[in-house]
Amino acid sequence: MRFLTVIGIVFYATVIIVIGLTLIVFSLNLLLPQDINGLLIFSQSSQNSRIIIGFCGALLILISFSFAQLILGKFQRERTIAFTTSSGQVTISLSAVEDLIRRLAGIIPEVKELRPNVVVNKKGILVDMRVVLRSEANIPELTSRLQDITKSKIQEVLGLEEQIIIRIHVAKIVHDEKDNRKKKDFEKEDYSTIPFSGYGRA
Amino acid sequence: MNRDESRNDLGVVRIHKNVISSISSIAAMEVEGVKSVAKNLKSGLLEIIGQKSFSAIKVDISKNEEVKVEVPLIIKYGYNIPDVAGRVQENVRQALERMSNLSVKDININVRGIERGQQ
Repeated sequence: MRFLTVIGIVFYATVIIVIGLTLIVFSLNLLLPQDINGLLIFSQSSQNSRIIIGFCGALLILISFSFAQLILGKFQRERTIAFTTSSGQVTISLSAVEDLIRRLAGIIPEVKELRPNVVVNKKGILVDMRVVLRSEANIPELTSRLQDITKSKIQEVLGLEEQIIIRIHVAKIVHDEKDNRKKKDFEKEDYSTIPFSGYGRA
Repeated sequence: MNRDESRNDLGVVRIHKNVISSISSIAAMEVEGVKSVAKNLKSGLLEIIGQKSFSAIKVDISKNEEVKVEVPLIIKYGYNIPDVAGRVQENVRQALERMSNLSVKDININVRGIERGQQ
């Protein structure tokens, strides 16, 4: 794995250096547009060179994919909570914890959107939440309720007794147009459903 | 080492790593609370072209025939993760020992996500 990482890094460094050198040579007028044009025409002139170029392109895409996966995999592996059982190790990806917290937005109607970021350090589990609230929400009461629910949900689902710190940042308060529309529609319906309501009885 | 092998009077029986990973996958899926086995790039691409692959499950077989399995999982919302992970470990161990007679050293569970979609 380490060998592949080294190859990937060397490959990308080489490609970037070549691009950089080409740009420098071009800026110094050592490489003329006609030369580039001639090179491109030459490379497209025969079928063999076109096949080689096509294979190189496909190879580059494959190398990029595997390298990206390697890097992303490494990052994913680092962002985990781990504990050991008698049968082996259990690691919980922090993105799984984030998924779990994101679903809490469905439980609390006043929360329109919730974006959590979970970090684990020596102090415990640190949850940073960026929330978008609906206009009718009472912020101190709501945020305290959200903190309690999040904390108990994490403890319940993960079964860990580590310290959980929850920080909430209210990013936006939105005016819920849907509710208002519903209210207006209801008022209109209420008004229109009583026929001849303006007339008195004889 | 790509496969585990045992010799009897008639010849050699080899068990490929893919067999171990598919047994592990089926055993993991049997446990309540498991949504799916998480995919990686290779298994995702193979699935697009219609081939079922369990390459996301890593299998290591040591020289003294001890098996180490790493199972990435997506868990259903609302279940206790350590509880589900423990049951998966137990079920995978039982399935592997029952079906292949291998001695399982470690079954590492990697919870990659919580089921998305319906509440």
